[in-house]
Amino acid sequence: MVNLASYLTVSALLFCLGLFGVLTKRNAVIVLLSIELMLNAVNLNLVAFSKFGAFPGLDGQVLTLFSLTVAAAEASVGLAILITLFRNRGTAEVNEMDMMKR
Amino acid sequence: MDWTLVFFFVFALIALGGALYMLNLQKVVHMAVALAFTFFGLAGLYVLLEAEFIAFAQIMVYSGAITILMLYGIMMTRHDAEEAPLRRPVHTALAFIGALGLFGFLFYGIMTTPWPGGSTEPLVEDNVRELGLALFNEYVIPFELAAILLLVALVGAVVLAKREVED
Amino acid sequence: MSAWTWLIPIFPLLAFLLLIGLGRSLRPAAGYVASLAVAVSLVLSLFVLAEVSAAGGAMVHTFPWLTAGDTTFTMGIEVNRLNAMMLAIVSFVSLLVHIYSIGYMHGDDRYGTYFAYLALFTFSMLGLVISPNLLQTYIFWELVGLSSFLLIGFWYFKPQARDAAKKAFLMTRIGDVALFAGMILLFWQVGSFQFSDIFAAVRAEEIDPGMVTLTAILIFIGAVGKSGQFPLHTWLPDAMEGPTPVSALIHAATMVAAGVYLVARTYPLFEASPTALTVVAAVGGFTAIFAASIGLVQTDIKRVLAYSTVSQLGYMMLALGVAGYTAAVFHLGTHAFFKALLFLAAGAVIHAVHTQDIREMGGLWRKMPLTAWVFLIGALALSGIPPFAGYFSKEEIILAAWEGGHPVLFALAVVAAFFTAFYMFRLFFLVFVANPRDAAAAKRIDAVRPVGREMTLPMLALAALSVVAGFVNTPWYHGLAGWLSADGLTSHYEAPGFVGWITALTVLTALVGIGLAASMYARGTLSPAALARRLEFGYDMLLNKYWIDELYGATVVRGAFGLGRLLHGIDRYIVEGLVALVGVLFRFVGRIGTALQTGKAQASNLVGVLGLVLLLIILTLGGVWE
Repeated sequence: MVNLASYLTVSALLFCLGLFGVLTKRNAVIVLLSIELMLNAVNLNLVAFSKFGAFPGLDGQVLTLFSLTVAAAEASVGLAILITLFRNRGTAEVNEMDMMKR
Repeated sequence: MDWTLVFFFVFALIALGGALYMLNLQKVVHMAVALAFTFFGLAGLYVLLEAEFIAFAQIMVYSGAITILMLYGIMMTRHDAEEAPLRRPVHTALAFIGALGLFGFLFYGIMTTPWPGGSTEPLVEDNVRELGLALFNEYVIPFELAAILLLVALVGAVVLAKREVED
Repeated sequence: MSAWTWLIPIFPLLAFLLLIGLGRSLRPAAGYVASLAVAVSLVLSLFVLAEVSAAGGAMVHTFPWLTAGDTTFTMGIEVNRLNAMMLAIVSFVSLLVHIYSIGYMHGDDRYGTYFAYLALFTFSMLGLVISPNLLQTYIFWELVGLSSFLLIGFWYFKPQARDAAKKAFLMTRIGDVALFAGMILLFWQVGSFQFSDIFAAVRAEEIDPGMVTLTAILIFIGAVGKSGQFPLHTWLPDAMEGPTPVSALIHAATMVAAGVYLVARTYPLFEASPTALTVVAAVGGFTAIFAASIGLVQTDIKRVLAYSTVSQLGYMMLALGVAGYTAAVFHLGTHAFFKALLFLAAGAVIHAVHTQDIREMGGLWRKMPLTAWVFLIGALALSGIPPFAGYFSKEEIILAAWEGGHPVLFALAVVAAFFTAFYMFRLFFLVFVANPRDAAAAKRIDAVRPVGREMTLPMLALAALSVVAGFVNTPWYHGLAGWLSADGLTSHYEAPGFVGWITALTVLTALVGIGLAASMYARGTLSPAALARRLEFGYDMLLNKYWIDELYGATVVRGAFGLGRLLHGIDRYIVEGLVALVGVLFRFVGRIGTALQTGKAQASNLVGVLGLVLLLIILTLGGVWE
């Protein structure tokens, strides 16, 4: 019997895995990828609530569409920044980007 | 035989497995591909949740466009073909603890909150149609804004990634 | 005039202040300035003495000084017969020593400073004797100790002088601590430091007898330190490193007598406790014979005299212990005269011969006849030969011991008298009569020139007093006894009268001592070297002062050093370790902060996530989600 709790658990797991990736991975592309993973987990959460929540309806799915859109936009812009950064610094490593040190 | 349960487990396994593989594989490209699997699994879960349109949008956008985009990004940033593990035990350990802690909290919340029992009736008759109606009637302004956002993102990405013109 | 008693110590004080400031520029006049100040004090003291003799009781003037809570401490002066006598003796001997020093210290670099210190000492000693309460006495007691320290170490470029000064100060300090403890106990019991209040409380039996004994013994320990009694005696011989006039004034006549004076001053306290009296007598008697025995074999002229001083002070303590109050005070006075005389004469010898070792002297009678005569007078007085002063005072003490029923002490006193006569005349014969031992000594003797008048006049004055001072209190005429007890402050004195066989015994003992010394050193019939070989262990023991110094060095000194090292270790490792730990702590915290400030996004993200998790956990545990 699959209920809301199961979907929410899967969503939480995905979210935390994505969080771990964001905090730990060295390659910037992988970090962006992990962020996408986290956003996906959120989408799953929304859709699950739209079906099983207190007010079942399509609002959750609409919001998911928007979340998808924004995530895509963000991914592309993020990657563009990364490529520029790579061109200037020669490396795509997150740890090398420490100009905010001071 | 509760097929919903079976499919749920299968798709959940694919999603979670993909995520775990992404974290543990060595080569960057492999990581991107693993994540694509996750996206597929999630799409399956959306179908189970009667969100068919979202499922296909997910496949198209995520495992289609974004994965390819990431692969392009990987290619262009001249990676060392693999992620050499950095010896940052303290950092990694703390990150693990943080993520675990967050999951623990979320799990605790999920388990103790009295969720309303979901209705077994189908949500809507025609998902796409209803979604379209909702999108162009109640949510038309966010829809337009999202469109502008995409335009801005496109322009911005192009501008940012443009190579400097050599004079 | 009694109201001007406070001026008596003030003149030397003014001299001190003047000479400390301008000593260098006043160089030649410094000696005269100091001497003049002391002379004025002497004159005033004589006036006070006369006035006190005429008056009945004591004169006390006090003024409030310090108020703490309910109690008020007073300062002031008290003049009674004992005080007045001490004032006169102290200022007189001090004046003579000042005059003598003008000649002795002539040409010294720090001439002015010397007289400043001498004046400081005179001020302190005079202030001590007219103190009406224990607190003031203690203040001046410490000042006297300070002056002694300064003067012993006057030639500070000599390491022995520095060490001797330190030793003197530290050893008397032990006594001072006991004195302070006794003082505080008395204050606690009686509620006042004033002598009059304390004596009234003792007489009214308001104080617990055990406490009386305890405080008396504590005060006596203070006297032991200052007067160089066993076991705190080792500093006195070493104090001979100071200039000889200093030895004469401080370590013969006055400062060391302060201990005896203190016991005499607080006598009612001792009279109320037979135990304390026994202790005093025992320590005094033992010291008398102990020091005399060491003096038998010493080769430094000043050290012999130093041990003699310790021994004679033991006599005085013995006297006090057997209730011979007058005898003790009498001996204090006469001893001041002839011991100062002996020291000054020794100083003249040293000044002429430039050595202190008696083995390098001999036959000085021909070259320094005056000095030889006065030294002979002093020696005879000290040995107790009538009609010189020492005979009468010593006789009183021995009589008091016998009459008080202390046969052991009596025997000790007589044997010590024998030793005294022996070592004094050993000294006399070796220095003045016997021929020089070797050619070097002979050459030294030949180079002797006569001594200046500043040095001879004081010696003559003291010699005269050594002859006549005894007559104030003889077995037939108890002048001093009557005079002292007339003010009713001291207990009624039982005059023992003339006991024939004791007198004969003492005189005979002295003569035997002289004769033995003569045969060994003047005529050479008995060889001292042969005797030394026969009693080798005894001789060694005496020569090494019973190894007491070595004993103290191995136990007390080493112990103190060990404790010092332990505390130093604690200070370095524990205390400083804690301080360093604080620094380490801060650096550690800083390092954490540094790790957060790397500018790397993942570090900040991590902090954010951890903070979020922590916040959520705290909120959950706090039950916010109800």
